[in-house]
Amino acid sequence: MLIDVFSVFREEANTNGIVFYYSGIVSQNVIKTMSDSLKQNLQQQDEKGARSRKVFSTFIEMIQNAMHYSPSVPDAGDTKEGSILVSKKEDKYYVICANFIQKQHETRIRNKLDPILEMSAEEIRQAYRAQLKNDQHSEDTTSKGAGLGFLTLARDSVEPIEYAIRDAVGYEDELSCFYLKATI
Amino acid sequence: MTDIYIPATSDTPEIDFKFSSNTLSMSGEAYPENGVEFFRPILKQLQSHLKSLNGAPVEFNFQLTYFNSVSTKIFYSMFELLNEYAKSHPNTVLLNWHHDEEDDTILELGQDIQEDFTWIDFNAIVLA
Repeated sequence: MLIDVFSVFREEANTNGIVFYYSGIVSQNVIKTMSDSLKQNLQQQDEKGARSRKVFSTFIEMIQNAMHYSPSVPDAGDTKEGSILVSKKEDKYYVICANFIQKQHETRIRNKLDPILEMSAEEIRQAYRAQLKNDQHSEDTTSKGAGLGFLTLARDSVEPIEYAIRDAVGYEDELSCFYLKATI
Repeated sequence: MTDIYIPATSDTPEIDFKFSSNTLSMSGEAYPENGVEFFRPILKQLQSHLKSLNGAPVEFNFQLTYFNSVSTKIFYSMFELLNEYAKSHPNTVLLNWHHDEEDDTILELGQDIQEDFTWIDFNAIVLA
């Protein structure tokens, strides 16, 4: 990459209010380091703690979701990859995460998210409480948080969460790219 | 039963379960890589300790400042255990729920816990 291109990239990021951006290997160690950096960043930006905490919580739920559920990167051993962005514009924070998913899990994810997208704040709160009480946890071998993760994101988002599933370029047969967005 | 002491790390809380005096405390942040794996042995020990008690008072100090959804789910089952104990031995479990004034998420969870586990004496403490 040329310095010119990088400089445009940086300026674009600044103009668009990007507070934090990462793309690459996702491990718990990487997450811990990013958490540190993001926390300091939020502390500087936001004098009120309540919203900072929600941004941080959203960040952790999304990136740990990418770490737990994304398949290993093709031709890269056992590593997981993901991209995450935190930006602030007109007094709203946006957290967007992207990671690979296996094509076969697409329907499962849609079935989990679509109902949440339609819920009112009160319905989200009820669903969250119901999920907290639901102890069928151990029977769902795929989900680690028993569905509480997406509801946590929805609860803290001031606008309905959004998602998109796109073809993973070069791996169209087996993988898709999953995008998730929350507004705080 | 032997006391449990696990120092805090950046993604796991300090666990200070003094079974000898029935004072159980947790503080810090909780978003371990595998929450179930991290907390399961602690819950198991708590469960067998409660079974061995005969109505002795138990004090729980919950002072976490952040925990992810997996940890939230685990804490809920932990309070379920304490509620069961308090049900067989009324007025024995005191839960000191520390939260920051601005933290509506932890405050709300405390309200849910209070509503769902009525045998536990709930004491909300606002952190200065």
